[in-house]
Amino acid sequence: MAKIVIAEDEPDIRDLITFTLRFAGYEVIAGSNGEEGYELTKREKPDLVMMDVRMPKLTGYEACKRIKADPELAHIPVIFLSAKGQESEISSGLEAGAEEYLLKPFAPDQLTEQIRSVLAKYGKS
Amino acid sequence: MSAILLNGGIIHYEVIGRGRPIIFIHGWVGSWRYWIPALQNSSMSFRSYAVDLWGFGDSARDMGNYNLDKQIELIDRFVLEMGIGRVALVGHGLGALISILFTARAPQIVDRVMAISCPMEFNAVSTRLRTGDPADLSDWLLAKSSTHDPAREDAMKSDSLAIVASFSNPDLMNITNRLFGGTTPTLLVYGQNDPAITVPTLDPLTMPEYTHSIVLEGSGHFPMLDDTARFNRLLTDWTSLETGESPRDLQLKEEWRRRVR
Repeated sequence: MAKIVIAEDEPDIRDLITFTLRFAGYEVIAGSNGEEGYELTKREKPDLVMMDVRMPKLTGYEACKRIKADPELAHIPVIFLSAKGQESEISSGLEAGAEEYLLKPFAPDQLTEQIRSVLAKYGKS
Repeated sequence: MSAILLNGGIIHYEVIGRGRPIIFIHGWVGSWRYWIPALQNSSMSFRSYAVDLWGFGDSARDMGNYNLDKQIELIDRFVLEMGIGRVALVGHGLGALISILFTARAPQIVDRVMAISCPMEFNAVSTRLRTGDPADLSDWLLAKSSTHDPAREDAMKSDSLAIVASFSNPDLMNITNRLFGGTTPTLLVYGQNDPAITVPTLDPLTMPEYTHSIVLEGSGHFPMLDDTARFNRLLTDWTSLETGESPRDLQLKEEWRRRVR
């Protein structure tokens, strides 16, 4: 079972992602800001990280940069969540080392499919 | 996984979202799990619960709790234990019957009901469904697709005695009077190709003003899985109605007008 860390400050979206991925068969650990996302990644060494771009304490970019700068974590793929209208932030996210991005609002099936596809690319399921 | 203890037995449920409460109640084949797309759809605006009935999914197997009265009592106790106030009920098959019968007993608690694939009487249920063989019923009623897989997997957990026992009181299953005698807004939803339940011919002119019926073309016994996107649109429109508003107002939208029977 692949382990996924998510960091999302909007509780409704965080709960929906957790619910969707848990019942798609993944182990999910959720944090509510970028700092928690980074700390959880360091502690849990997940197979994938999914983070919102705009979050308190540490933005998604900053958290992603920290992950990619850590030799023990750098191999972990990161997916960004970005609200519609913030598309300009996507290229910055990819430059920070993210693998993919997903625009909010998203369909739960689309979320699962994207996660599956990135994990498969990294030889995980 | 969340659970509460009722009458000494575990009742499994899942919950997601914030807002006014909705309880989803599964039918004769499957468990809470096939409501996942509906829960995802409603969770952004509602606190959405899905419960496993006695003998289904991950709830306790206890023959003493399998008849229709006991399953209705489960919902009553669940609402009480969870501190749920005025609630919307979405029931399917057995869950639809339970929703309507519970509403007849406690109308003050129920804001509205969506009853999917609900038999109006005992004889409206196919004899094959009444045999209660989960494997046979899954093969018969669920398409072989990834959308239907969650229902198929959990159907095998069902105690066939729980299915059979739900038919032990045919008189209680005659719901026409209970449905038309109440004032709770009720939407009946049927799949046009449902082989298990006879779709009733309801005359809109004689139905109470707060009751409405929609038949979804192309769907079978599981409209929420057969055409998830369309079902979720209907669910969204139905939940958007104001309290006390008749489900007939759904006809203001072209998509639902064409399906009036």
